[in-house]
Amino acid sequence: MQTLTLAAALAAGTVLSAGAASAANICFAFQDLETEFWVAGHQAITTALQEGGHTVIERNANEDANRQLEQVRDCIAQGVDGIIIIPQDGESAATIVNEAQNADVPIAVFNRPPSDLSKGIIVVADNATIAEQAVDFALTKAIERAGGEPVQPLILVGDLGDPNAVGRRAGFNAAVEKHGDAVATPIEVASNWDAATALSNLEAAVTANPNIDMLFTSSDFLFPTIRSVLEPRGMWKAAGEEGHVVMAGLDGDATACSLIKEGYVDATGVQDLYFEADAALEALLAAMEAGEAQPNQVIEDPGFALTTDNIGEREMDMWGCVLLAEGFLNK
Amino acid sequence: MTAIDAPAPVPARQRRGFLARLLGSEYFVLWLTVGYFLVLLPFLPTLGTPANLVNLLSNMWPLLVVAIGQTFVMAVAGIDLSQGAVMALTSTLAAALLATGADPAVLAKAPIWGVLLSERGGLLDGRGGVGLALGLGLAVLAAVAVGLMNGIAVARFRMPPFMVTLVAMMIAGAFAIWLTQSENIRNLPEQFIALGKGDIVSVYFGARTESQLPRREVYPLVTYPAIVAIIVAVLAHWLLERTVFGRQVIAVGANRRAAEISGVPVVRVLILAFALSALFAAIGGLLYAARLEAGRPTLGSGTFLLDVIGATVIGGTSLFGGKARVIWTVFGVAFFVLLSNSLNLMNLSSFHVDMVKGAVILGAALLDVARTRLTRQALP
Repeated sequence: MQTLTLAAALAAGTVLSAGAASAANICFAFQDLETEFWVAGHQAITTALQEGGHTVIERNANEDANRQLEQVRDCIAQGVDGIIIIPQDGESAATIVNEAQNADVPIAVFNRPPSDLSKGIIVVADNATIAEQAVDFALTKAIERAGGEPVQPLILVGDLGDPNAVGRRAGFNAAVEKHGDAVATPIEVASNWDAATALSNLEAAVTANPNIDMLFTSSDFLFPTIRSVLEPRGMWKAAGEEGHVVMAGLDGDATACSLIKEGYVDATGVQDLYFEADAALEALLAAMEAGEAQPNQVIEDPGFALTTDNIGEREMDMWGCVLLAEGFLNK
Repeated sequence: MTAIDAPAPVPARQRRGFLARLLGSEYFVLWLTVGYFLVLLPFLPTLGTPANLVNLLSNMWPLLVVAIGQTFVMAVAGIDLSQGAVMALTSTLAAALLATGADPAVLAKAPIWGVLLSERGGLLDGRGGVGLALGLGLAVLAAVAVGLMNGIAVARFRMPPFMVTLVAMMIAGAFAIWLTQSENIRNLPEQFIALGKGDIVSVYFGARTESQLPRREVYPLVTYPAIVAIIVAVLAHWLLERTVFGRQVIAVGANRRAAEISGVPVVRVLILAFALSALFAAIGGLLYAARLEAGRPTLGSGTFLLDVIGATVIGGTSLFGGKARVIWTVFGVAFFVLLSNSLNLMNLSSFHVDMVKGAVILGAALLDVARTRLTRQALP
């Protein structure tokens, strides 16, 4: 597992209020640490809590929703003061939030929202708007390159049981609609947030439709997968080279930052990881201080799109670029 | 041989006899569970709190139901790797038939959309208790069909159970995922959800003050999953211990050829054993779906099968067949759930938890070999 010292330092610096509440036992139950985003989020949250003098009880469910439910129940039995979860999906998140609230334990859901947004502290990125910004930029570039021909876009869709994936697809579709006839009907490829699934489905899609002009992945963690499909077909080209496929993603991880700098990727929607970690902890600790057992609040991360046009000014606003500067990809 | 003829081997034989009695005891795993609990209790006081005991029971019931099914298959010297996939298929089908509504943005591309499920809900939604029973019954029937096919392949075509159920796992699991295109089906009716956790008798322990926030201390004591699991266990016990079929199951597992010569309908027994395994997996799957409030095509994946087979083997059911009791599986599941729970309370990482569980299962398998050997040696 990579050590994200800068992430930790940043998170510790931003979550000032973490030390405000008296030392508490916080259960941090996460579904897995498979992608850069979750690794960085996990590190930011645990470090901030420990810096605040709180005891963190970590539970990794290994992508098993039932196991996560049992782990959260164990945490409740252990008498924790609050719970933060990164759930497996929206449905299990709603069940777990209910479980915690029925036991009078305040709970915050980090980044992956429950299917029912009315319960719990929910910190979530405005996926639709962020995706729309990134896709809009990429489509504009692709239309410029197409010289009047309709642009053929492709979207790698996430697991649609996850509201994040639904929002990202909605943002993609909104951007496509904005450009009207200049854009052909998009090709949808299911990834289910799984690299192997994405690989096989994308290979089939690219074989059937070799003239893709623009590609949007619902998560940056799939860029290495995309590369392994496009490179053997001569489609992995940097901007300015013949055959460049305009690409956009969402998350803002270190790989995406690196690929934007190298010219392979044109834009990515950025979730403000540190803001989200900070907001989740602040809201949870505030609820505990106030003696509120069932705090309900939706905190939205507005995010932004980092593009080849604005990377000069906004590079260090993206968590992945901060990690890249720290040498994350070399560790 | 007498003590006068050969005085030296007697103590060794007596020692072996004692070991054989200890390891071969019906209640060995129960004593192990109680001992493990008592030894850990001073170091992990949370282990004995009402909240944790309720968690232990709640985690135990659905696993017990599935493990009882595995017991029947192991009793005939088989193994059923398809139980997790059968659970996924059952939970998905039941949810599709009974959901009170569905989001087209999520499920419109699924093959079941417009056939079993639409925006207004499942095909059997709004038909009250009859609809619920029918929905659950149809899902269970689909599962039993998988079990029957497993049984036919093993019994009629003499295919290895490992291979047959591995393929069934792949097909049934992939079919469940295809049905919903990997999406979960939520909006289950309240009666279905109650099946997973609805409590019938609760105990109030008063307000709790240790944590920073005062907390209600109401614990479900008798729940629907508990009742379902106990009924299943009692029926399975009766079937295995008190009926001709039960004796035939053990006979087939002990020695298939001898059972055939003795007139045991081996083919029928094998097919029924696999069908029962699927039936119990389906019931367990419904309990898990109700508990998680969603039909999940990925239910029972990951390390779940390790838990089921592990709990069954730890209980004492022999991997070689011919030796199985439902009460052993009850003890095995209790020990396994306690083990998982205690490892969680020790704040070990999930990797360490799985490694310890794996080691315990390996130990149980070795114990099975040792018990068999010692019991044979202790025979006069």
